[in-house]
Amino acid sequence: MAYSEKVLDHYNKPRNVGTLDKNDPNVGTGMVGAPECGDVMRLQLKVNEETQIIEDAKFKTFGCGSAIASSSLATEWIKGKTVDEALEIKNTDIVSELSLPPVKIHCSVLAEDAIHAAITDYKAKRAAREGSPQPANA
Amino acid sequence: MLTQIGQTVTCWNCGKSPEEVHFCSHCESLQPPTTDYFEYFGLPRKLQIDLGALEQSFYRLSRRLHPDVYFRRPERERQLAVDATAWLNDAYRTLKDPVARGEYLLDLYGMKKSEQKSSNVPPELLEEVFDLNMALEEIRTGDDSVRPQLIEAKAKFENLLEEVDHSLEAGFGEWDRTESRDALEKIYSVLNRRNYIRNLLRDVNAELV
Repeated sequence: MAYSEKVLDHYNKPRNVGTLDKNDPNVGTGMVGAPECGDVMRLQLKVNEETQIIEDAKFKTFGCGSAIASSSLATEWIKGKTVDEALEIKNTDIVSELSLPPVKIHCSVLAEDAIHAAITDYKAKRAAREGSPQPANA
Repeated sequence: MLTQIGQTVTCWNCGKSPEEVHFCSHCESLQPPTTDYFEYFGLPRKLQIDLGALEQSFYRLSRRLHPDVYFRRPERERQLAVDATAWLNDAYRTLKDPVARGEYLLDLYGMKKSEQKSSNVPPELLEEVFDLNMALEEIRTGDDSVRPQLIEAKAKFENLLEEVDHSLEAGFGEWDRTESRDALEKIYSVLNRRNYIRNLLRDVNAELV
């Protein structure tokens, strides 16, 4: 089966591959996987605490071309969005943007899951910070 | 195929309840399979199975269901023999292989492989697989001098696979003793881990050829 041009473009020139410091309090990390195909996807985002805007996003995916393209596109899309806006991205948006065939839909689900996992991680960090006493100069 | 389980069955030929799994006890005509694989082979729903008994049962049933035997029978029964034989072969292949057997049992309890979501995969496993992939990628980007490292990685994955197979065997034992949801969950996560490791091993082997 042939990949769509957009998938190939992301596969050959993946955007935002890399790592953010996962110990940074403003960085959320989402790690998801699909054991059936052996895919693992790590998506990280850095949130501006005041504006709640996602200022940076990075990913690293081990998997097929569609999984790489889906996560690459996801990082592109969430950059510049607020956390709440990013949560509205649906896997079906990724499917139509990349023209993914039915057998590759799970790759887009994985990317959506990764966004959600990263935001959940970010929110958990923030909640923990707010719940515990802040240093005087924070 | 499994949707038929639990339904009241009547013989397609005489309309009575066949009372027996393979043939109607009233008119002796061949019945389409309506049980799960274990029951069809006359085995309990256990995972540590007697492979000898399975094989014997398979040969015995193969002979009885063989389409050639139904040469002079009505068209409907001839077709049933063809279908039942194909089904029997699938069943045998599935039960013979420990991994397929485990997956099949999970399927019987509604834990379908194709419905796996990332949320069902333990985070430690994802971390582990991610790190192993990172290490493998680092080695791969090098030149021929990395071959010893690849061989080392291969040995490591093979060891992990062996470990996983031991855990699978332990999970099977637990299921056979307890028939608990816990045991099913354990088998489920072991099979996930196994799948990842098998894929890693496949990748490293592909690099080595």
